[in-house]
Amino acid sequence: MKNDYIPYPAVIESIIKESFDTKTFKVRFADKKIAKDFTYVQGQFMQVSLMGTGEAPISITSSPSRKGFLEFSIRSVGKLTKKIHELKVGDKMFIRGPYGKGHFPFEEIKGKNLVFVAGGIGLPPLRSLINLVMDNRKDFGNVKILYGCKTADEFCFKDELKAWNKTPNTEVLLTVDKKTDDWTGRVGVVTELWKDTDIKADNAVAFLCGPPIMIKFVVQKLEGSGFNDDNIIMTLERHMKCGLGKCGHCNVGDKFICVDGPVFTCAEVKKLPKKDGAM
Amino acid sequence: MIKKVINKSDISKLLKDANNEYNVYVPMEHIGGDVLFSVLSKEKNDFEDDIKRINLASEKNVNSPKDIFYPQLDTMMEYNDKGEIRETVENSKKLVFGVRPCDFHAIAHQDHFFSKNYQDKYYLSRRENSLIVVIGCNKPPRPNECFCTSVGTGPFLTEGYDIQLVDLGDYYLVEIGNEKGADFVNKHEKYFSDPYRDEIKHAESTKLEAEENINLKVNFNKALQIMKSEEIPQDNLERIAERCIECGACVYVCPTCTCFDVFDDMKCGEGVRCRIWDACVFSGYTKEASGHNPGAKKEFRAARRYEHKLKYDTLETGISGCIGCGRCLHSCPVDIGMSNFIKEITTNQKYH
Repeated sequence: MKNDYIPYPAVIESIIKESFDTKTFKVRFADKKIAKDFTYVQGQFMQVSLMGTGEAPISITSSPSRKGFLEFSIRSVGKLTKKIHELKVGDKMFIRGPYGKGHFPFEEIKGKNLVFVAGGIGLPPLRSLINLVMDNRKDFGNVKILYGCKTADEFCFKDELKAWNKTPNTEVLLTVDKKTDDWTGRVGVVTELWKDTDIKADNAVAFLCGPPIMIKFVVQKLEGSGFNDDNIIMTLERHMKCGLGKCGHCNVGDKFICVDGPVFTCAEVKKLPKKDGAM
Repeated sequence: MIKKVINKSDISKLLKDANNEYNVYVPMEHIGGDVLFSVLSKEKNDFEDDIKRINLASEKNVNSPKDIFYPQLDTMMEYNDKGEIRETVENSKKLVFGVRPCDFHAIAHQDHFFSKNYQDKYYLSRRENSLIVVIGCNKPPRPNECFCTSVGTGPFLTEGYDIQLVDLGDYYLVEIGNEKGADFVNKHEKYFSDPYRDEIKHAESTKLEAEENINLKVNFNKALQIMKSEEIPQDNLERIAERCIECGACVYVCPTCTCFDVFDDMKCGEGVRCRIWDACVFSGYTKEASGHNPGAKKEFRAARRYEHKLKYDTLETGISGCIGCGRCLHSCPVDIGMSNFIKEITTNQKYH
C-alpha cells in the first residue's frame, strides 16, 4: 500500500524575491524518476514541508505547460514559511502531492474571454492557469487580469505582469489599498477597477483568489456585470494538515476542500453552509 | 450461521492461547477503577496479573477501542538531518476481545473513512490483521446515556461481525459471522462446543430483553429530516455555545471522530513527524497562519459537529455517524451530548 503521507525531497533551483514578504521557489524532485513521471493540473496544490519544522499546503504557481519543475510562491507568515524563506539555492524542501480533484478548467474554457481577479497572495494560485493560457494564447479571447494589494510593495511577478500586459488582447490592471510615495498607479480596492475597464459576461469566465472579504465583493460585482455563478470560479484555502481528506481541518459542509476542491464554482460555494465561512 | 458455546471459565485459557498468535486487547481494570482496552502482556507473570484484571461485563465507562487502530498520538515517520525518511507503520496481528456492538459500528465507520479517497496506511495496516470479538449488551454500559436502539447500532449486531458473544450467565453463545471468525473458533475448537436448542432460545430472549433495557430513546430520523430541510435553529446553537467550555471531551471519547493535527519534533539531528487527535470544537482548529479563522464562531463549530455526524455521514453511508454510545453526554461537564441535541431539535423541550 502506498503511503501518501511520505514526502519526497526536492532541490531548490532558484529563488526570486517577489515582494517584501514573498519569495518564489523553483524546485525539482531530487529523484530523477519521480521528477520525470510527475504531472499536475493547474489549480492543484502540494503539501510542502521541512523535516523538523512542519508541513503546509502551498498552491503550485507554475504552469503544467512548463515541465520538469515546480514553483511555489510563499509568503513568510508562520513558523514553517519563515524557515522556508531562510533556504538557499541547492537546499532541499520536502513535497508530496499534487492534491485537489477540483482544479481549474482548461479545455472547457478555450475560445472564451477570461477575467482573473486576485488579491494579495491570491495571485500565485491563479498564475498557474494564467501562464497556461499565455502558452496557448491563440486559443482564448481577451484576457483581463485585475490585481489588488494592500500596498505597492506586495505585488508579485512584477516582470510577468508587464509581459502579460504587452501580450495582444491582454490587459493587466493593478490597484493598491493604500498609496505610498513610490506608487503612481490606481488607489482603491480591486472592485474599483470596474471603473477603468469594461468587464463583460458574454462568453466569459472569471477566476478569483483572495481574502474572503474580497471574494464576497468581487462576486457581487461580477454578478452585477451579468456573470452567472457557474462562470465564476474560485480557489479556496484552509489550513489543511494532510491534503488527503483525513485530518478534517478543511471540512466545509459535506466537502473537503483538499479533495473536492480547492477550486469550486461560485454556484458550488453558495450551496455550502454559510456559517462555515466559505465565502 | 454457525453457533457455538464457550464457558466463561475457559475465556482466560482461550485468551492465553490467542496471546501466542495475536496482540490481545481486552477491557481491563486500572488503578482508580477505570476499565480500558489494554493489551495483554506477553510476559508470563504479568500476563497472569492482567488476566485477573479483565472485566468483560463492566458497567463502568469503558473507552472505545478506537485508539487500537488509530492511536491518539501516532508516529508517522522518522527522519534525520540528512533527509532520510523512514515510515513507521504497525501491522501486528490483533485480537480485540469484548468490543460493544455500537463500537463495532464505529470501527466500520472508520474502515470506510480511512479507505475512501486516499488509503490511510497507518489505520489500514493496523486494522488489516485484526479479529474482533463483539460482546452484545444485555444491559447498557451507560444506562442513562446509551441510545443505540435509536440509531440502529445495538444492543446486538445482526450482521457484519467476525464473532459475537451473547452473555448467558455462566457461558456465552458464540455467533460466528464470517470465515475469519470461523477460522479462529476452529483453531481453538477445544474451548467451544455445540449449543443446545435451549441455549439458542435463551440467547434470542436475552436479545429481546436487552432492547427493552435501553431506556433512552431519541427520534434520530426526525432530527435527520429537520437537518436535511433547514439549518439548525440559531437559538439552539447559541444555547449550546453558551454552555460549551471547549474541553474537547466529546470528541476525544467519540468512537467515530477522526480529526488530527500533524507536528514535527526534532532533536540532535533525529526527528519524528506525528499525528495527534484534534478537536473541531477548539477555536484554533481552523486558524490559518495569516490569523484568518473561518470557523471562529463557537455556535458554528458546535453545529458542524452535529451536522457532520448526524446529517452528512448518514447521507453518505446510510448509517448515522453518531453510534449512540452516549460517551459524549457521559463525559460532558455541561450536559451537551448528542442525544440532548437530538431531543432539543425534535421536541419543544429545552435540554441545554
